[in-house]
Amino acid sequence: MKHSAFEQHARVVLRNLTLPVLLLVIWQLWASTLPVGSPAPSPVKVLETFFELISKGSLVSATVQSLGRVLMGFSVASAIGIALGLMMGTSPSVRENLDPIIESFRPIAPMAILPIAILWLGTGTPTALAIVAYASFFPVVVNTVHGVSHVDNKLISAAKTMGVSRLSILMRVVLPGALPSILLGTRLAMGVAWTAIIAAELAVGAKSGGGGSGGIGQMMFVFYAYNIDLNAIVVCMTVVGLVALTIDQIFKMLEKRLIPWRHEI
Amino acid sequence: MSVDQAIFKPQRYRSIWVTLRAFSGFFLLWWLLHLWNGNPLQLPSPLKVLEALWLLMCEGEIQEHAYVSTLRMLTSLLLAVLVAVPLGFCMGLSRQAEQYIGPLVEMLRPISGIAWLPLGLFIFGVGDSLPIFIMFYVGFFPILLNTLAGVRQTDARLLAASRTMGIRPLPLLLHVLIPSALPTIMVGIRLAFAASWAAIVAAELIGAPSGLGFAIEWYRQLLMTPKVFAFILAIGIVGYLCDLGLRFLQNKLTPWTEGRGISS
Repeated sequence: MKHSAFEQHARVVLRNLTLPVLLLVIWQLWASTLPVGSPAPSPVKVLETFFELISKGSLVSATVQSLGRVLMGFSVASAIGIALGLMMGTSPSVRENLDPIIESFRPIAPMAILPIAILWLGTGTPTALAIVAYASFFPVVVNTVHGVSHVDNKLISAAKTMGVSRLSILMRVVLPGALPSILLGTRLAMGVAWTAIIAAELAVGAKSGGGGSGGIGQMMFVFYAYNIDLNAIVVCMTVVGLVALTIDQIFKMLEKRLIPWRHEI
Repeated sequence: MSVDQAIFKPQRYRSIWVTLRAFSGFFLLWWLLHLWNGNPLQLPSPLKVLEALWLLMCEGEIQEHAYVSTLRMLTSLLLAVLVAVPLGFCMGLSRQAEQYIGPLVEMLRPISGIAWLPLGLFIFGVGDSLPIFIMFYVGFFPILLNTLAGVRQTDARLLAASRTMGIRPLPLLLHVLIPSALPTIMVGIRLAFAASWAAIVAAELIGAPSGLGFAIEWYRQLLMTPKVFAFILAIGIVGYLCDLGLRFLQNKLTPWTEGRGISS
């Protein structure tokens, strides 16, 4: 019995690995048919470049810089977004006045306001921050409003009957009730923010001629435009993916920690 | 808001009035900011922007760029549907297929479409294919995941009932699986649209000689700020209209339900 369960597990792992390994092998074989000086990336060269960039420290510092920007913009956006969402969720008049404006800004992509951000704030960190904050604001506010307006009315009525003050209702009833939704919003926002920072850094790099504002997006652009190195670009892409994955996992863990009473989200 | 409230007419007039009020407040704020800022290159007055929008529309420039962008978006969305929906059905119906394909999808998904831009520029060059590739990539995952979820959510009792009646695989697919997964798939398509419409600007900003994203950047470099704002408005409007169209399609195709999907 145990043996067969183990066998089953091994079979699943084998199946999981088949396609990625196959693709990597095909990619490597294809790359080895190319002439020696070809710039085309290959898995082996990508790995070499990865260790080279790590040992130089530039990859780590660029990633940390991008992450710092994301965290800053994200914190600003979620502070504003959660506060505004709580207000909109609890007060219908605030909600009906702000809703049309938020809904009409939502389809405007963060990248679309990048040109304006560059006009206002130049091509440095403030622009990147503005883009990140703009991008992550919407998921937070929309999900907070959703969470607050779906808090069980009976709970609020019960608290009111017992003469609980408005502030306490907000902090003890509404906020915990809306927490799953708020956390979902922040998780989505963080994902969007990480995408936005790459886009912003790429575009700022593309438009300002590789100025010194750094970040992993800019690093990619430098590898694209100045010292053409496709292997390094693939390394950067992989790091972007890994960071996104890690962020997502951290937020999922947070969700489990903070809302142990609801595991299904 | 409950349904009978929405049908109650004065309520509807009231919602229009509220929207108008909100927007006039917004425009007033904009106008005041413009007066305070005093630099028309940074923040033009709302009237200038509307004028620019009107002029660009009269000259047909907005329509031209919007047409190019929309066509690219529709092409990539169609491609994404054609690839992702069958794949999603395969993965949803067969554990084995999912065990083979799933990990690859999970490996690629965290890499945002925009991170593909530099590599894409090498592979495709500047032109139509780069934005289409980026949008296809961005739209692929929401459609795939929602199709998968939709197939999985199919009511087991329905499946059992149809099997008891000796249904063949093809009618099972056509009459049971597809109708039951369709609402979730439509949600996936709408999410895919939203994601790829957000990505089109980046893709066109960097890698295409035409389209709305390109126009924004072009007029920014010429420092014609009212036109930049006008094109940003155009992006919002076209995005909104497309979403309206998709929602209409959703209501037409799946009138029996208000589908709720998963957002990736």
